[in-house]
Amino acid sequence: MEEYHRHCEEVGFSADEAHNIVKECIDGVLGGEDYNQNNINQWTASIVEQSLTHLVKLGKAYKYIVTCAVVQRSAYGFHTASSCFWDTTSDGTCTVRWENRTMNFFFNVFAIAIVL
Amino acid sequence: MEKRGRGGKPSSSTASQLQPPPPPPPPQPRRERRPSMFEREAYTQILKERLRDSIHDVQYVEPPFDDSIADLGKEWKSALAKLKFANSYRMEPLKKFQAHSVETKAQQILKESLKDVKYDDKVFSHLSLELADRILSAVKEFGYHRYKFIIKVLFIQKTGQAINIASRWIWDVAWDSWVAVKQETETYVALALVFALYCE
Repeated sequence: MEEYHRHCEEVGFSADEAHNIVKECIDGVLGGEDYNQNNINQWTASIVEQSLTHLVKLGKAYKYIVTCAVVQRSAYGFHTASSCFWDTTSDGTCTVRWENRTMNFFFNVFAIAIVL
Repeated sequence: MEKRGRGGKPSSSTASQLQPPPPPPPPQPRRERRPSMFEREAYTQILKERLRDSIHDVQYVEPPFDDSIADLGKEWKSALAKLKFANSYRMEPLKKFQAHSVETKAQQILKESLKDVKYDDKVFSHLSLELADRILSAVKEFGYHRYKFIIKVLFIQKTGQAINIASRWIWDVAWDSWVAVKQETETYVALALVFALYCE
């Protein structure tokens, strides 16, 4: 049973915090590892779930969507675009690109406010 | 660096306690035993080793990071957010998000716009944005009230490498949903994700 997290009074999505959380999660799970077909599923799942848990622990009244794409490092083309229909005053996003000797990581956090 | 700073502090605190006539300086307060120097250096060194080959950067962030804009934004946002909305007494959306109809529409848009399009760097960078906007306006046309949408479009060139895409979310399971459509050709794969969230 998880402990109850206090409701945070701050409002406004802090992209800085989100970026730090994501970076820590990735470094923790993938620091120094090489691309491995067997483990990649497990790694992406754990990174995404861990960052989601940490984001929730911030205690803000937000819904979160976390997306990540991991590609083996080679010569390839990759394009990504996103279009959002939301309340620009309270909602926000943060994209982090992390790379390693053998893989590229594209991470996206979307935070949508819940009006209580 | 940290150790020097730590060492500096206790001496300054004892200096401030000195008063004329100076009594024998009180013994330095016993701090808890610092971890061994070797341990601390080892940890940073290990971390550096592990991360030596990795770099990261933040691609895009919204709200914008500029100082001037950010300060204004924060006060304004918190003021705005504290506004209470009038009660609508509505517990659920008028029209629930129907994933299957949006899926067919999105698939149709992908098919039309990517018919006979070969992979090309410059074309694809603005095609992806254009597609995202098109799918967004199509989804808005469906007329789901009080829903917020997030559309994500990915193009991956097929060169024999592996790619893994994962998403997780925290939302209201009763009303929020998502749709994924894929269009595959000889040279590339196009993937579009649509997330719909009900705004309470």
